[in-house]
Amino acid sequence: MRKALFLGLLAIGLVGISPAQQKKQPTKKEAGVKPEEVRQVLLSGFEQDPRFLWKLEQDESQRICSQYPSREAMPAQAIQRVIELENKNIKYPQWGIAWGDWKEGKKLVDSARGGRFASYGFSDKPTDKGGNCYACHLIEKGVPGGTMGPQLTGYGKRYGITKENMNSPEGLEKLKTVYKIIYNAWHAYPCSSMPRFGYHGVLSPEDVINIATYLLHPESPVNK
Amino acid sequence: MRKIFLTSAVFGLACAGLLGYQAVKAQDQELSPEEEIRLVQEFNRMMAEGINPGEIWAEMGKEAFKKYNLDKCDFGLGPGKIEGALAQLPRYFPDAKRVMDLETRIGWCLQQYAGMTPEQVKKFVTQCWGKSQCMSEYDAIVMYVSMASNGYKINVNLKDPQVKRMYEIGKQIYYARLGPWDFNCATCHAGQKEVRIRATVLWSADRGEAGKAVGIFPKYLVRWAQPMTLHYRYAECMRQMRWPTFEPHSDLAVALSTFLYGNGNGTEIKVPGIGR
Repeated sequence: MRKALFLGLLAIGLVGISPAQQKKQPTKKEAGVKPEEVRQVLLSGFEQDPRFLWKLEQDESQRICSQYPSREAMPAQAIQRVIELENKNIKYPQWGIAWGDWKEGKKLVDSARGGRFASYGFSDKPTDKGGNCYACHLIEKGVPGGTMGPQLTGYGKRYGITKENMNSPEGLEKLKTVYKIIYNAWHAYPCSSMPRFGYHGVLSPEDVINIATYLLHPESPVNK
Repeated sequence: MRKIFLTSAVFGLACAGLLGYQAVKAQDQELSPEEEIRLVQEFNRMMAEGINPGEIWAEMGKEAFKKYNLDKCDFGLGPGKIEGALAQLPRYFPDAKRVMDLETRIGWCLQQYAGMTPEQVKKFVTQCWGKSQCMSEYDAIVMYVSMASNGYKINVNLKDPQVKRMYEIGKQIYYARLGPWDFNCATCHAGQKEVRIRATVLWSADRGEAGKAVGIFPKYLVRWAQPMTLHYRYAECMRQMRWPTFEPHSDLAVALSTFLYGNGNGTEIKVPGIGR
């Protein structure tokens, strides 16, 4: 409920902000193409199914990131703004930061289906969950993975998590750091390629803590 | 030349048949690592032997082209003239009052000369989407027309203000972060460093590979044993990006094509491509 209210406020805020931004934004190169034209062309390209059209609403961070081809090209002020916005967009599990179930986390890491859906052919359902983490990361030894994100093999071990210290304040602090990155990567790496899984509700806080546990837990195959 | 083509086509058909039974339902599940490796090896073998089963579609396309009265269709060089047509598309068509790429133009001509309604065209276009070893007349027509431009260099007229406008819109959409997974096209298709998504190396706009990427469409996919047209590729990208279902022949498709082909100006067209 609070989230819905927050999103609503954000949307109202955006409507207020966008005209001012649009006035500043057009550069010489893009002269002649108005943001409304781009929007119209974009919307023309999708089936007008109300169940999915919400996916095309941009929030302020997305709008900022869309202006620059990469983070290296972003001015410090824009980076600061995204960090500011995204730090507010992190929520924690009901029971607070505590170790979850790495086996559940592994399922979510393995699944490529989450959030994927097209009305033609495939058997994906809009309710399928998963992070498709292997697309970009190498995680367990010997399992093919992508190289777009950093390598995560032995992540917990490298981060100094052991059976002895995992429930100490430092151990839980480390779990919290990783939790925050998976929940909302942009609070630490603005406009990174990594989706903001928790912020968008693709994964619940409990899902995210399970994935963080999978990456860090000494018994998880990641750290074998 | 023709004989060579036919021989390779027959050989290719045999290969496609062999592969077929393994490709069934391949799209339904995620591939296992072993399957993934086998397909890469299969793909490498086909590349080394110069076999491209995708060429079979062109023969079928030649007949379908006549069947649907597309010899009346003007692809920018005069009615029915397809040699090098793909190389100068997308362009502005005064008769449709729209910038169009090849597939959008075919769809328009199907409405004009084959008497199809927009709904029928969409059904015709998407009949093989999400399937494996599927042979459709539409894919065949696109293959036939595209292959007639082999050897030509991409030459999009970006001086035309209408085309330029589409190019700019395409560029902005390429960099628009959208959807519940925050992706844009550049998330995967940009960057100076070569990176992998699972086992696949993706082309990058920053490394100037746009022409190389679009110049091989339609592209034969070994894992699905069927060719993939450019608009199907867009649809698949957007499905992977968790965006809503893509509409073929839309202005969005044209804008992306204009941006990609425009960036690829000067690249030679080599159709069909082949991929894993």
